[in-house]
Amino acid sequence: MDLSLETRNEDGHTIIEVGGEIDVYTAPRLRDKITELVGEGHYNLVIDMEKVDFLDSTGLGVLVGGLKKVRAHDGSMRLICNQERLLKIFRITGLAKVFTIHGSQAEALADL
Amino acid sequence: MPSGSDRAAATVSVTIARDPALVRTVRLVAASVARRTGRDEEFVEEVRLAAGEACALFLGESAGSDLSEQPVSVTISFDEALSVDVSTPALVDVEDHPDSDLEGLEAWALLRGLIADFKVSQDAVSTTVSMRWPLS
Repeated sequence: MDLSLETRNEDGHTIIEVGGEIDVYTAPRLRDKITELVGEGHYNLVIDMEKVDFLDSTGLGVLVGGLKKVRAHDGSMRLICNQERLLKIFRITGLAKVFTIHGSQAEALADL
Repeated sequence: MPSGSDRAAATVSVTIARDPALVRTVRLVAASVARRTGRDEEFVEEVRLAAGEACALFLGESAGSDLSEQPVSVTISFDEALSVDVSTPALVDVEDHPDSDLEGLEAWALLRGLIADFKVSQDAVSTTVSMRWPLS
């Protein structure tokens, strides 16, 4: 499955719904999307990973890079992820403590 | 689905060019072989992640320069244990660098944290990552 990216705005935040595989091949597309949004002035991002089937360290690097980009503008990046196999990757790499991770879009938006 | 002592040993080798688009193929093969062991899907997913991650580290931006012509070979086999060996005839940078293009992420930490039996070996001309999961 390839990478799909859908973007919409809600309550002053920009939600990127990501689907498919974020790996060494597709992660640059996500990085470009984040860079594009930050360049347009979208500094509060919500990355919805509910439909992500695979995530490797290249994808993690893109997320960390995105977090640094928005923080440089006093912005935020929240993740939505309820899949144990992906949450395990965040825990192993110590990134579970770096990102704010919500279990659902409703939970993330309620916490804004 | 074979399970326990009924499962038949298998070895599959795949060699890919240094094209990140091909890593998905390695993941599919790794998952397919892992599934033949009869273990659960959590195990299959771990093997899929490990094989793909090792290839990504060999092919990605952090691997080092002058590797563009070197293929990556992956051998997945199981008998008493499932083994995944990923190798390339080149010296890959196997250290994490805080100032890398991965934005400070310690990319190798994922494999080291994920796999209990994980080994990186290098000689003058090649690099091999070996990962092993006991099946008994």
